[in-house]
Amino acid sequence: MKLDKSFHIYGLFQQTMKIKSFTLLIALMVAQTALGQGETAPDFIRSIGKIYVVAGVCLIILLTLFAYMIQLDRKISKIEKRQKNE
Amino acid sequence: MGILLYVFIAGWIVPLKPGIIKVSPEKTAAGELVVLDVTGYNTSFLTDSAHLRAWLRLTGDTVIAAQHVQAWDNRNLSASFYIPSAFPFRQEAYPLSFVLDHSKDGTSVLPNAIFITPAAIQDTADLKLWYQHKIENVHTKAGIQYPFRNILAETIRNTYFHVPMWFSMIILFGVSAWYSLKYYKKGDIDFDRMSVAFIKVGLVFGVLGLLTGMLWAKNTWNAYWSWDVKQNMSAICLLIYAALMVMRSSVEDDMQKARLTAGYNMFAFVLVIPLLFIIPRMTDSLHPGNGGNPALGGEDLDNTMRLVFYPAVIGFIMLGLWISQLVYRTDKLKGIA
Repeated sequence: MKLDKSFHIYGLFQQTMKIKSFTLLIALMVAQTALGQGETAPDFIRSIGKIYVVAGVCLIILLTLFAYMIQLDRKISKIEKRQKNE
Repeated sequence: MGILLYVFIAGWIVPLKPGIIKVSPEKTAAGELVVLDVTGYNTSFLTDSAHLRAWLRLTGDTVIAAQHVQAWDNRNLSASFYIPSAFPFRQEAYPLSFVLDHSKDGTSVLPNAIFITPAAIQDTADLKLWYQHKIENVHTKAGIQYPFRNILAETIRNTYFHVPMWFSMIILFGVSAWYSLKYYKKGDIDFDRMSVAFIKVGLVFGVLGLLTGMLWAKNTWNAYWSWDVKQNMSAICLLIYAALMVMRSSVEDDMQKARLTAGYNMFAFVLVIPLLFIIPRMTDSLHPGNGGNPALGGEDLDNTMRLVFYPAVIGFIMLGLWISQLVYRTDKLKGIA
């Protein structure tokens, strides 16, 4: 099936936006947990040794690097498409 | 990749040494009998609980021993002390550290666990109570574990994830500056692409370092941003490189763009070294390794942690170099195609 080019670009744009909003959502969630730790339940978090902070830090690193690699992948796909069209 | 897999696994599964999280009450008056409720972490008080010993320490050998220690469960115990009404020296309030020794968990300490206000009537006969006991014949826990630090607790594991971000960023910026120098000498546009790829990935690692640091700071220093000198300087450093990228995108001529980038980049790297390594060491900082705190030494990084920390640094640096290579190759293809 051959897609209309403008349609394809729009789809790509949509997908990028989806990824961006997903990353934003995760970032918000992480921030939320961090806030919760600071104010609402310090005793509970202290009793489990703040392991969630380590989870948050690992998540931030893995998700950001993952998102960055996906973005790179898209860039490469775009170049491949262009080369095929030539 | 294998190295990072090892870091993530070892960084997560190796347990913490047992420690003490909380002692209550947090203050009392001298000359009184006090029963302390102690909450432990990773502790196993019920095992061999008959041999639990506890002390309150004023300084060095100036200690009082617990009269009685009763374990309730693995994480909670009570210890009763008679606080002498007289102290060897005069002070507004006396902070005492709580020391616990257990045959299986080893010794744990909670510094400044309880504050004592001086008694109205002081019985000088009480003075000798401070010297009747000594903290001796203590145990150490066998096995591999990370040190327990009071404010950090489990977040000491962030050493393997937050710190290597900055190491990687510095290495990536350094390599970038090296390629800028090469571009200056040879004028090959490929060197310019190379240096820019390293800056891009270095920025990603820098932002990651900042974000992870903020999350960690919120939970240990109680604020995302405490205007700590190292926080400020690393933010400035990132802004310098972000400005470089903005400047690049505003110049249209490729040759001019490359030349400006090379000059700015070398200047930026030379600037970043004092920003990150010299200025924070000259003033007080919350970060270890600055303002007289020992870095990469003492109890913050013991030999067990080094077994994971150094591979983590190497692994993340290699990851950064690899991603930069990919970015460079992509940019090159984009330039030609």
